[in-house]
Amino acid sequence: MIGRLLHRLMTSFLVLVGVLWIGFMMLQVLPADPAAVIAGPTGTEAEIEAIRRHLGLDQPLAFQFWLYLQRVAVGDLGRSVINNASVAAELLRAAVPTLELMLASMAWAVPSGLLLGAFAATRRGGLMDRAVMALSVAGVSVPVFWVGLLMIQFAAATRFFPIQGRGGPLWTAEGLSHIILPATALGLILIGPTARMTRTALADTLSADYVRTARAKGASELRVVADHAMRTAWLPIVTLLGLQVGTLMGGAVVTETIFSWPGVGRLAVGAIVSSDYPLAQGAILFLATAFIVVNIVVDLLYGVLDPRVRRSA
Amino acid sequence: MTGAAPTALPLRRARSRTLRRLLANPVVALAAGFLLLITLAAILVPLFSPFDPYETTLRLRLRPPGGDWLLGTDTQGRDLLTRLLYGTRTTLLLGLSGVAVGAALGGSIGILAAFYRRLDGPLMRLIDVFLSFPSILFGLSLAAVLGPGLNSLILAIGLSVMPGIARIARGAAASVMAQEYMDGGRVIGLPDRILMTRYLLANCAAPILVYVTLAFGDAVLLAASLGFLGLGLQPPTAELGSIAAEGRSFLFFAPHVSTAASALIFCIVLSFNLLGDAFRDAADKRFG
Repeated sequence: MIGRLLHRLMTSFLVLVGVLWIGFMMLQVLPADPAAVIAGPTGTEAEIEAIRRHLGLDQPLAFQFWLYLQRVAVGDLGRSVINNASVAAELLRAAVPTLELMLASMAWAVPSGLLLGAFAATRRGGLMDRAVMALSVAGVSVPVFWVGLLMIQFAAATRFFPIQGRGGPLWTAEGLSHIILPATALGLILIGPTARMTRTALADTLSADYVRTARAKGASELRVVADHAMRTAWLPIVTLLGLQVGTLMGGAVVTETIFSWPGVGRLAVGAIVSSDYPLAQGAILFLATAFIVVNIVVDLLYGVLDPRVRRSA
Repeated sequence: MTGAAPTALPLRRARSRTLRRLLANPVVALAAGFLLLITLAAILVPLFSPFDPYETTLRLRLRPPGGDWLLGTDTQGRDLLTRLLYGTRTTLLLGLSGVAVGAALGGSIGILAAFYRRLDGPLMRLIDVFLSFPSILFGLSLAAVLGPGLNSLILAIGLSVMPGIARIARGAAASVMAQEYMDGGRVIGLPDRILMTRYLLANCAAPILVYVTLAFGDAVLLAASLGFLGLGLQPPTAELGSIAAEGRSFLFFAPHVSTAASALIFCIVLSFNLLGDAFRDAADKRFG
């Protein structure tokens, strides 16, 4: 387990360095010379030269990358070129809404997907099974923005839910009513894969010997499925959910843009469209790091769920 | 042809039988028919459409479907159906180029990993990371580094389909590596280059191609999503995702623009996914 984890951390670390390198490169394409910008229109040639030396801009690229790593390590991601706000502060402000949105959509989509998948697995080939499978193919094929647009049309017609922005923290009525539409739209893309994977995993375990034993000793169908079969089926499902975090994050970028949800995804898209490189760099760095961290957590969960993984050195 | 020659004939017969069985499934036939139709329409649209896809007539903007314009007009007064077909052309071409880039990258990585055992570990670990990486993030990063446009789009699609193709290619190549004719080729002193292309690639092209179909749906969806976010091709180029985004500001009194574009994207992606699933099921039976 320790070896596996170390191995995993090493890979993640390498990926992180790669991501940081991309972030660093994003700052290299800045159209203006940062030193000249800081010196201002009245800055003399000598002042610009001094600032350049101070920022390390006269150093080789590799050394500049090292300086960049040092700055990122202490949380200095630079300042937005549009409004001069600290990128780190903007990101921290946007992180909570993004996290809220992703958790809220998982909160309803994962249980629904599990239930649908379990129903499909226990009625293989039946009407329910086919409906679930059709739903899951449709779910991975539908553009997230269409779901969002349809919901906005629906909400505008019925005036049930607010369609733009965030109303506040989740525990307030305002906040809850604002998150319903975006969380529903985002969750829909998760149901299909979850249901499909649950169905496959459960179908495998339902034909196992120990399930037959459980049935033979008279356990109820619910107990057989939920307790005996599900316990082994968890593994592939958790793996898939870990992989789906990537899809969810991509979906969140689109969903946030449609519903004007003040999250990191919308921040990233806005920054790229307006050529705000420091902010774009920070937002992409943030999303990628979050993704890597979630994957490590999923790996740890794997160990909790599977005793074989835990014990193997 | 050295290794494959004796099996070529029965293989071809088996292939046409598989194809016929696939098309007997109504869902598959419907999906294939739709894709054929929309591709043909997208290619031939300049021949049959009386409308210009770029000439704007503001007087005629946002006309509802029906009448002179089958699907109405868009935000600039252009015939929506014509725009959509030109957009389909762009989106399909984007998907095709992206998947081609991804297949070239992924195929090479997979084959290299299977051929040189030492490279296997590091290459596949890299692929594992890429595999689950959010594909939209590729699009965002590349749009930020290279600027939004054709190159960053195609590269983003390529990078997002590359890992899946690499894994399939490696799996297929690894089983071919165990064949006797690989040793045969080595014994007669063929260089690695020939062994990898004429022996390995030639014999694992089929499973790779199957997977490519599977990747097409994702590629089109990614292209459309990036287009919708404004990170794809810039206007006035017709592209399905950006047409859907253009109609967004007029959603409440002219919903037909966004709806038609989104529905078309959905149908295309769905058809590719249905076809891909059917191909994969058939391939699983054949390639074990």
